[in-house]
Amino acid sequence: MSMGTAERVAPPPLVGTSRQRRLISGDRIFLAIAYGAAALILLIAGVFSIALFIPALPAITKFGFGFFISRTWDPVRSQFGALPAIYGTLVTSAIALVIAFPIGLGAALFLAEDARLRFLRGPLSFAIELLAGIPSVVIGLWAFFTLTPLMRDNVDPFLNHTLGFLPFFQGSASGYGFLTAGVVLAIMVLPIMVALSRDVIQAVPRSLREASLALGATNAETIWSVILPYARVGITGAVLLSLGRALGETIAVTMVIGNRPQITTSLFASGYTLPSVIANEFTEAVGDVYLGSLFYLGLVLVLITIAVNVIARLLVWRFSGSEPTGA
Amino acid sequence: MRGATLTALAGGVLLLAACGGSPSGSNSSTGGAGVPTPPAAQLTGAGATFPQPFFDAARFAYNKKFPQVTVNYGGGGSGAGISQLTKKIVDFGASDVPLKASEAAAMGGSDKIIQVASTLGTESLAYNLDSVADGQLKLTPDTIAGIFLGKITKWNDPALAAVNSGVSLPNQDIRVVHRSDGSGTTYIFTDYLSSVSADWKAKTGGPGKSISWPVGDGAQGNAGVATRITQTPGAIGYVELAYVLQTKMKQAALKNRDGNFVIPSAAGATSAAKAFVGSSPSQFSIVNASGKDSAPISGYSWIILYVDQANKTKGTALVDFLYWLTTAEGQGYAVNLHYAALPSSMASYDLLVLKQVTSGGTALLSVS
Repeated sequence: MSMGTAERVAPPPLVGTSRQRRLISGDRIFLAIAYGAAALILLIAGVFSIALFIPALPAITKFGFGFFISRTWDPVRSQFGALPAIYGTLVTSAIALVIAFPIGLGAALFLAEDARLRFLRGPLSFAIELLAGIPSVVIGLWAFFTLTPLMRDNVDPFLNHTLGFLPFFQGSASGYGFLTAGVVLAIMVLPIMVALSRDVIQAVPRSLREASLALGATNAETIWSVILPYARVGITGAVLLSLGRALGETIAVTMVIGNRPQITTSLFASGYTLPSVIANEFTEAVGDVYLGSLFYLGLVLVLITIAVNVIARLLVWRFSGSEPTGA
Repeated sequence: MRGATLTALAGGVLLLAACGGSPSGSNSSTGGAGVPTPPAAQLTGAGATFPQPFFDAARFAYNKKFPQVTVNYGGGGSGAGISQLTKKIVDFGASDVPLKASEAAAMGGSDKIIQVASTLGTESLAYNLDSVADGQLKLTPDTIAGIFLGKITKWNDPALAAVNSGVSLPNQDIRVVHRSDGSGTTYIFTDYLSSVSADWKAKTGGPGKSISWPVGDGAQGNAGVATRITQTPGAIGYVELAYVLQTKMKQAALKNRDGNFVIPSAAGATSAAKAFVGSSPSQFSIVNASGKDSAPISGYSWIILYVDQANKTKGTALVDFLYWLTTAEGQGYAVNLHYAALPSSMASYDLLVLKQVTSGGTALLSVS
């Protein structure tokens, strides 16, 4: 014991022993706090997973992986399946990205690149901040009262008239369904798309721009062949975060999707999403299997979100050829 | 207790009495009209949202009458009420459907709890058709089942035209709207459909708070369904009477068991309830009732509590409050909100079971 202590004290003191000791103990405390914080996050994630998994067990043991492919959602007969809700979640999120990506990227390029109409930047930035700040339930209310009649009487008939040869735009439109929910989600993810894309575009080094312009490239050519390739990783990150928001959005979607567990090719038809089923049914869900199925849906949603993240990160990795820097 | 206090504050209820510590004697004194004066206590309940407006009005009035008693009601849905009562977080639970055997077993067995009817409600079928005035549309059990089974899909279907001679029914798609959230309202409506249509029962498996619908879209809450119908041309859906009256929607005349077309009303619900003499938690269904004025889609709402109350003071205040709720005075607050008054037979049943509530072997309710 005494040998060990003697060995550790052996190197000559740097300044004063008391100060050094204080520093060392300060370091140790800092280290402990940092380790503690890291452990706490792991603990929270672990507790969360377990808390989701245990109540879901009755449903997992009863339905197993069949839960993922079953189309039945019948509380009376205690038969539950997640496929329509998974389908609805993925379809509405996809619609949201298809709409929000070009608009968001265009707005971001305008904000970051276009020297003309500079006076519009302030108001546009403000509008985006405003849009980001509107609570989803308010957007849902607006969609319920204003967007659904608009979709039913104008947008859906127009799409049916022009693109009606595609199976997506066939059938009668009630104003509620996949497409309307997708539009609502697009509005909700747009601020994320714009703000993040703008930031990464602005982060493109000035020297690259100037080099491209000096070589005789037009503005559009510079954007297309220099700026966008450089910002690709960051823009993918923006899409990723938007997708995360779209997958989990609950209340606004519940108000306009029609809440019908079905799988159709027509985007005019009503559907259901994972968060909507949970939000709608948990208050009156009595019984282990019923409640368990709702937790199972929650587990599925978490798994989908993780899968989307992993896939997107792998894509980023391949494109950029280096360790992803994160969004 | 802290949770209960928070609930009280959230509910905006004045905390006139502190937590029920000092019992003001026994319950023998009466507060006029045969209602016992309760000891000071703070009571908490949770559960069904259907009777919530009634409970809110009634508990506020009771607190005015007896400032020493504060009653909090958290809503949250029948499922939440049942699970919180099982865990003894609340003093009473409310559910639109009496407990199933398995739920009662979780509370220690059906002999450990009692269930009293608190109020009575009825449902309307509201529709959105420009060419058909309020009350003009007539629906029979067969056509209602046909519409909700997805067999009748157009408003000018021959089956509808046959019972609506003289009404100009449009060549328009029927858009069925139902509740997307689990609810007692859905239970009562599907109970009705199951009792009038063997087809419905075979296809959906019978009544439920949340079911697999053959047709239609879901909207949240009575308000959601009501708004959805108002917004969508050609829509039809089941909505509690109060919402139909408040939003001035068009509602159909429904053919009852006696063959009369009736516009659903609170009086119609009471008439339906009277048609079932021996109603109790085990015989609770009152849909498709006989009686010439009976509203066919009606049902009771229930309050659940433990027979043996651990805290005598609290238990006494609880049964005193619940008894008051079933008296004419308490039921008056229900009637104001378009619920129907309990028939006297049901009020007597409630009194009978409330008298069974004990604490340490002593009965808590002293009403002759």
